[in-house]
Amino acid sequence: MSKKSRLAIILVVLAVCFAFLWPSIKWFYFTPKEDQALALGSREKIKDYAHNMAVSDLKKLMEDARADQKGAIDSKFSSLVSEARKNTKAVKKAIPSTWTARTILAAFPSESDVLTFLENGYREKILATKNTQGSAVKLGLDLSGGMSIIIKADLDAAVASSKASITDLATFKKEAMKQAMDTLTSRIDQFGLSEPVIRQQGEDRIYIELPGAADSERINSIIMGKGMLSFHIVDSDATTAFLSYYQAHPTSTFDADYKLLDSSIIPADTEVLGLYTKDSYGIDERTSFIVIKKDVGLEGKHIQGAQTERDNISGQPKVTFTLDAEGTKIFADLTAANIKKSLAIVSDNKVKSHAVIQEAIPSGQVQLSGFSSTEAENIKAVLKTAWLNVPLSMESQSVIGASMGEDAIRQGVMAISFGLLGVFLYMLLYYKGSGINACLAQVLNIYIMFAVLSAFGLTLSLSSIAGMILTVGMAVDANVLIFERIKEEMRLKKGRASCVAAGFDHAFWAIMDSNITTFIAAVFLTQLGTGSIKGFAYSLAIGVISSVFTALFVSHLMFDFDTQVLKRKTISISWRTKI
Amino acid sequence: MKKVIKFSKMFIPCVSLSVLIVLFGIFGLITKGFNLGIDFQAGFIEKVSIAPPSFSLLYSGTQTVKVTQSSSEIDLVVTGVGGSDNKTFKFPYATYPTVGSLASAITTVPDVTMTVTSPNDTALKSVFPDSEILPKLSAVPYAFHYVPANSSVISSDEIRKTISMYPDAAVQVVGAPSERTFQIRLNDDGTDPNASANLRTGLTKAFSDKFGAENLAVISNDFVGSRFSQNLASQAAWLVLATLAVIWLYCALRFRWDFAIGCVLSVFHDALIMVAFVVWSRMSFNSTTIAAILTILGYSINDTIVVFDRIRENMRLYPNMKMTDVLNFAQTEILGRTIVTTTVTMVSVLSLFIFTTGDMKDFALALLVGMTSGVYSTIYIASAFVDLVASRRKDGGMLVEKKKVSREVATGELV
Repeated sequence: MSKKSRLAIILVVLAVCFAFLWPSIKWFYFTPKEDQALALGSREKIKDYAHNMAVSDLKKLMEDARADQKGAIDSKFSSLVSEARKNTKAVKKAIPSTWTARTILAAFPSESDVLTFLENGYREKILATKNTQGSAVKLGLDLSGGMSIIIKADLDAAVASSKASITDLATFKKEAMKQAMDTLTSRIDQFGLSEPVIRQQGEDRIYIELPGAADSERINSIIMGKGMLSFHIVDSDATTAFLSYYQAHPTSTFDADYKLLDSSIIPADTEVLGLYTKDSYGIDERTSFIVIKKDVGLEGKHIQGAQTERDNISGQPKVTFTLDAEGTKIFADLTAANIKKSLAIVSDNKVKSHAVIQEAIPSGQVQLSGFSSTEAENIKAVLKTAWLNVPLSMESQSVIGASMGEDAIRQGVMAISFGLLGVFLYMLLYYKGSGINACLAQVLNIYIMFAVLSAFGLTLSLSSIAGMILTVGMAVDANVLIFERIKEEMRLKKGRASCVAAGFDHAFWAIMDSNITTFIAAVFLTQLGTGSIKGFAYSLAIGVISSVFTALFVSHLMFDFDTQVLKRKTISISWRTKI
Repeated sequence: MKKVIKFSKMFIPCVSLSVLIVLFGIFGLITKGFNLGIDFQAGFIEKVSIAPPSFSLLYSGTQTVKVTQSSSEIDLVVTGVGGSDNKTFKFPYATYPTVGSLASAITTVPDVTMTVTSPNDTALKSVFPDSEILPKLSAVPYAFHYVPANSSVISSDEIRKTISMYPDAAVQVVGAPSERTFQIRLNDDGTDPNASANLRTGLTKAFSDKFGAENLAVISNDFVGSRFSQNLASQAAWLVLATLAVIWLYCALRFRWDFAIGCVLSVFHDALIMVAFVVWSRMSFNSTTIAAILTILGYSINDTIVVFDRIRENMRLYPNMKMTDVLNFAQTEILGRTIVTTTVTMVSVLSLFIFTTGDMKDFALALLVGMTSGVYSTIYIASAFVDLVASRRKDGGMLVEKKKVSREVATGELV
C-alpha cells in the first residue's frame, strides 16, 4: 500500500472518530444545564414546553401586530421570517422590506399555522439536543451516581395465577414479561426522572438504571406496587370547564409534577388525569386531560378475560371483556345509573380509554367499540393487567451517591493521567526518539477508544477506564515487539529503511496472534452479566483493535515519514544499538 | 550474539514450586474459602455517614428545580413547562467558599429559601447530600450534611451496639475515623422475600433512633438477592472454560496441539495462582475479582503467544537444534521485550493501584500478581510443557516444522 493511501486511511479514521466524539463534546461542554434537563425530561414535558413557548410567542406577536409596531421583529424569529418569505413567494406577493409582527402574521394562512410552526421549531430544537445526548458517551452509575435495580418477574407464578387456559406457554411468558416491562416503564416515567434505562435481561429479569440520585423508598413502592386498573365515570361538564381554563392558563395550571395549583377549578369529588394513547413508538403520549370522579366505579379485579374481535355486521374492531358475578352486579348498577355518560379506564393514574355508556349492561359481557384495531389491541393489553398478575421481586439494588461518583471520576482521571505519564516516560527514556512514535500511538489509542465507546453508546465507568489503562500498557507491547525487532535488524548492520521494514514484517504475526487471543478473551468477558465487567471488557476489546491499528499503521507511517521526507539515515531507538 | 540463558535448567524446580503454590491455594480454598463479596453472598451493604445537616433548601415555586453538586460547584437547574424561566444558577466554590456566602447569594434564585444550621464558615466544598433523596427541591427541606471539625469519634463497636438486632452484621470504618463514615454489611438468608426493603428500613431505623434521623447521610448501598449471586458464579465459571476452549482451538490451528495445551496450562496456572493469592490475602471475592482473573487470561496468553511465535520461527531457522536449545534461545532473544512490556504494563496498573480505592485497588493488585505469574508461566509452564512433549516425541518435536522450512526458504523469506 502506498504511503499516500495509508496516510489517507489514517486521516479518515481520525475524522470518523471525531464525528463519533462530537456529540459527547457537544453534550458535556456546549449544552447548558437547563437545556440538558429539558432534553432529559419526559416527552410529555417536552411537548408541553414547546407548546407553551409557542403560545407565548404567538401572543407577543399578536400584541405587537395589534399595536402596529413598526420595528423589525426579534431576531429569535429568524426561522419564522424565512418561512414567511417562502409563503409570500408561493402566493406571488411582494416581499415586505422589513418584517414586522403584522407582516409576518399576514404571511401565514392562519394563526394556528404560526403556532404549529413555532411549536415544531421548539420541539425540534429539544429533540435535537435529546439526540445529541443519545449518541454521547453515557456515564456509568459509578461515575454519575444513581440507582440500579434488577427485578425478577416470577413467570411461573404468573402462569399459575392465570385464570384463562394457556395454549402456548412461551408466548404467554413473553406477553407476561412485556406487560411487566410496560407497567414498570410507565410507572417510572411518571417519576419524571432524567433518562431512566429499563431493559430486559435474560428471560425473566428486568434491569433498571436511574442516573442522578433516587429515593429508594418511593421507587421501591412504585416499582413493587400492585397495578391498579379501575373504571371511573367521567365528569364531562367539569372536563369542558377544565380544558378551557387550561387553554387560558397553560403555564400556571399545574406544578412540575402535574398537580393542580388551584384545586378549586374542578369539583371536589373529581380529579384531573391525562388521557393517553400509544404513539407510533409504543410510548404513552398524552393527548388531552379528562376530569373523572374520584370514586371507583368498578375495580379491575373483577375482569376475567379480554379479547379483540371484529363486529359481525360493521366489521369494526371491538374489545370484549367478561366480569365475575360480583363485578357483573356492580357494573349493571353503575351503567344503569350513568347512561349517556362516559366511562374511563384508568390504569396507574392514566386514563387509557373512555367510552360512552349507551345502555345498562346487566350481563357481565361488555363490548367497547369505535376505535382502530391497534387502539383495540392496546385497550386489551391494558385490561389484561387487571387479571394477569406477574409477581415481581427485587434481586439486587444499589445506590451510589453523586459525591462517590465525583470521587470515582477524580480517581479515574488521576490513574489514567499518571498511567500514561509513566508509560510515556518509560518509552522515551528507553527507546529515545522512537519512543515518540509509541507515545503518539498511545494518545491515538485513547482517542479512538473514546470515539468507539461513544459511537456504540457504551457506558463509561470506572472499570472501563481501568480497561483503557490496562490496554495502554498492553498496546505498548506491540510497539515494543516492533522496536526490539528493529534493534535486532540494526545489529545486522542494515540501513534504516530495511531495518524498519524488516522489523515491522517480523513482528507482524506475533502482534496479530497475541492480540487476537486477547480479543477472544475480551469478547467472552463482555458476555458476563454485570456492568462493571462489561465496561472493562468492551474497552479492552476496542483497545486491542485500536492498538493493532496504531502500532502497525500509524507507527509505521511515522517511521517512513522520517525516512523519506525528513531523509533520516539513522534510527534513534536505543542507548547502545546504533546504525 | 548474546549469551543464551539456560532457562531449561530451572524447569523442574520451578514447576515443583508452581505445583506447591497451586496446591497451597487449593488447600486454602477448601479450608478457608473465598472472602465472598456482595456479588456472591446475598446481603445488604450500606455506607453511611453520621453527619449533622449543614443547611437545607426549600422551594415554593411551580417549576422543577434540580440540585447538582460537582467537584467545583453547586448548581440549581430551574426548568418548567412555561419555558421563559429556564435557567441554571451556578455557585462555584471559588466564588462562594463557605455556606454563609452561599446563603447570601442564593436569594437570587426565585422561591428558594435556605436554612443554615451549621457555622457560617463551613466550607461549601465539604458538604454532601444524602444519596437516597431525590435531588429535586420541594416544600420538603433538601438537606446538605457536613462533618463538624471537632466532632467526637464514633467507634465501630458503638455502631455494632446500635445495630445489635443484626448479630451477623459486619461494620467497617471508612476513611479516617474523624469522617464518621461506616460500611455496614448485613446478610440475607433468603427467607424474607422483601429483604431489600426490610434490611434497609431496619438499618435506617436503628441509626435514626441512636443518632437522629436528620444526622444520617447515606452515601451508597447495595443489595444482592440470593438467587442472583449464584447465577453470576456459575456464569463466570462457564465463561472461563469456554474462553480456554476457544483459545486452545486458536492456538492449535496457528501452532500445534502441544503448544496449545502448554498455552492453556500456563493460563490455567495463572488463574490458580491468582485464586491462591485472593484466598490467602483475604481479598474480597466479587465480580471485579473475576474480571481480574479473566483479564489475566488475556494478558498471559498474549505473553505466551509472543514467545511461542519466536520459538516457531527459530524452529524453522535452526531445524537441527534440539527443542530445549530452541526454547532457551528464543526465550533469551525475546527477554528484552518481555521485561520492557511487563514493566510498562505494570507501570500503568501501578498507577491504577495508587490512585483508586476499594474494589478497583484490589483489582489492580490482583492484576499485578497475575502479570508476574503470567510472565513466569510462559517460560516455566508453557515452555516446560512443550519441552516435555518434545522429549517424548520421536522427532524431538521438530520434524513437522522441518518440512515447512524447506518450503519457506524456497520462497526466499529468510534471506
